[in-house]
Amino acid sequence: MKNLFLTTSILLLFLMVFSCSKQPDVVIEPEKLFYQPSNFQSPVYKIEKNPITKEGFELGKSLFYDGILSRDGSMSCGECHRQDFGFTHHLHDLSHGIDDQIGLRNSSSLQNLAWEKTFGWDGGVFDLDLFAISPIENPVEMDDKVPNVLEKLRKTEKYPVMFKNAFGSTEITSERFLKALSQFLLSLVSANSRYDKFMRKEEGVIFNATELAGMELFKQKCSSCHAGELFSDGSFRNNGLPPTERQQVVYRMVDGVKKAFIEPVIDDGRMRVTEMPEDKNKFKVPSLRNVEATKPYMHDGRFQTLDEVMNHYMTTVTATQNLDPLLNQNGKLGIPLTATEKTQIIAFLRTLTDREFLTDKRFTP
Amino acid sequence: MANCFAFCCTSKYTNMKTNKFFTFLVFLVIIITGASCKNDEINPNDKNSITLSFDNKVGDKSLVLGTGAYTNSSGEDFTVTTLNYFISNVSFKKEDGTVVKFPNNYFLVKQSDAGSLEAELKDVPAGNYKEVSFMVGVDSTRSTSDISQRVGVLDPASYGDDGMYWAWNSGYIFFKFEGTSSVVPTNATGKRPFQLHVGGFGGMTTKTANNLRTVTLPLANAATVRGNIAPEVHLFVDISKVFNGTTQIKLAQTNLVHGITAAIPIADNYKSMFSVDHVHNDAQ
Ligand code: HEC
Ligand code: HEC
Repeated sequence: MKNLFLTTSILLLFLMVFSCSKQPDVVIEPEKLFYQPSNFQSPVYKIEKNPITKEGFELGKSLFYDGILSRDGSMSCGECHRQDFGFTHHLHDLSHGIDDQIGLRNSSSLQNLAWEKTFGWDGGVFDLDLFAISPIENPVEMDDKVPNVLEKLRKTEKYPVMFKNAFGSTEITSERFLKALSQFLLSLVSANSRYDKFMRKEEGVIFNATELAGMELFKQKCSSCHAGELFSDGSFRNNGLPPTERQQVVYRMVDGVKKAFIEPVIDDGRMRVTEMPEDKNKFKVPSLRNVEATKPYMHDGRFQTLDEVMNHYMTTVTATQNLDPLLNQNGKLGIPLTATEKTQIIAFLRTLTDREFLTDKRFTP
Repeated sequence: MANCFAFCCTSKYTNMKTNKFFTFLVFLVIIITGASCKNDEINPNDKNSITLSFDNKVGDKSLVLGTGAYTNSSGEDFTVTTLNYFISNVSFKKEDGTVVKFPNNYFLVKQSDAGSLEAELKDVPAGNYKEVSFMVGVDSTRSTSDISQRVGVLDPASYGDDGMYWAWNSGYIFFKFEGTSSVVPTNATGKRPFQLHVGGFGGMTTKTANNLRTVTLPLANAATVRGNIAPEVHLFVDISKVFNGTTQIKLAQTNLVHGITAAIPIADNYKSMFSVDHVHNDAQ
């Protein structure tokens, strides 16, 4: 009797678990290069204006990892955007470009770009297709000109063929070039972290008590800015980073010769784009997906670890111009947290790491 | 012609009965007029082009890049190394008030490229045009459009060293005026350059300054488009107006403008730099 009860209850439990574990709505097929994860909203990018094909993706990937896009062949997009580090520039606070020049900012992670409304820390670019012109023509990044890059591509053996495969003819135009890069960038969809699988109630995926507590705390303390499944509401805000003084090397032409000058770095964030004082010190709220892999942190890469980031929110939030009111409540700066709560939030942030994405062979050069 | 109109107009006093008769009369008149107007050159089916020719000057001197030496209304000396600007949304107004628009023609006028100084508008219907209007810059629709629509001079990746596009802050540079002046303080490289760059279509996600300006100029001598006449409208573009159009701008203070808010007075000033010198209506 007892035995029968046990067997039936085990059977029932099994059945329950089985029927409860919902399969993800979208099945990832190896040939499917772009898809909408079931827990995401619909994308911002109009995929229909640039349908992603295998050939377009291959071309975009090849361009992304090719130094030919830079003046002297030394810098590819992939140099500053490394897959294993969430497509960021690992170990570089400010990005490192051609001739070892230091850029203004920490390189952004590249993931789920189809869901972003604006690009760059200040959101200055409003269309993914237009983004690549900026690093290519930036003197401290790749320091070339797109027409010259296209001319170089035309002279290669492989690219005219690849353009033909992707777009039907060997013609290499800026539209095709930029769209191919976008096809590769759009395919960088990251939605298979433990967090995602937990949310989609995939089989065998559980959070421990620390992670669950961290998730709850995150919802209360962080998700008004790092909102939704993308962990960003796409807005521009000042999270109270204390002012720092930094120098940068700037190259200028003197009598036809490039010379180096040292200048202070001034980064007004969103104000650079809108020129409005109310946007000073505001930066785009970054997604926290794969955050464990994307160190260093913040627009200037000032923090090396998640622990340092948490310490900032707990103790160093500074009332600079336009500090977000959420970080200055009841006359208290920052987000009060205990040491345990801090550990819990960090444990939760680590569940956002998508190993499949970071090691996906399709994106590897 | 006037006679026949008066005649036709009387038909509104007619009743049903006489209607047929008048319809007949009207036809008759039209036929007669058609025949008698054989010598009037305006054939509504004829089309030809109008060319706007941009003659960049400084006051009454012609503009010579690099070597030309000029003085502005504040007495500041200057030379010019670059002058580029976008012209778009050209329209012509006929004597009768009808307007012919060219919303899909964009021109990038560059002093360094003689071919770019002529902007040809094709397929203008025959008629006498008394007014020309155009925009300096690239309208907000094209400033925000899909890459596939950005062809020709609008290809943001096509400018090379001309750099008529802000890549990190998506937007065309409508007007680019660069040179040197002894009143500009020396920069880090020991030079005294001025750079006046104007852009700003009003903003995509956030409203920002709008520096698009529309210029409307009367044509004292009409541009008479005919099957065999493709008029050329010769415009004088006096860039000294950049310094004193409506606001006095001194190079000593305003010499590096790359922003949109700081560029507002420059755009207001250059709105008045265009004038029509003459119109050629030579038969081909
Ligand atoms: C020298 C390093 C460097 C190189 C090379 C580089 N990038 Fe970046 N990338 C950055 C930095 C830094 C940022 C952040 C820029 C900012 O906020 O101003 C960034 C941001 C981006 C973004 C915006 C991401 C977002 O979510 O806002 C995209 C897209 C991008 N890069 C694509 C590319 C492509 C494509 C190439 C090659 C054509 C490239 N990058 C080359 C450093 C680099
Ligand atoms: C008021 C809005 C706001 C709140 C609340 C907020 N953040 Fe942020 N967060 C930002 C902004 C804005 C940035 C980028 C700031 C910069 O670089 O200048 C950022 C950056 C970060 C980064 C760096 C990411 C990277 O890729 O560089 C981490 C990690 C982070 N926040 C975690 C958290 C956590 C955890 C919480 C809750 C304890 C939190 N944030 C609460 C707005 C906010």
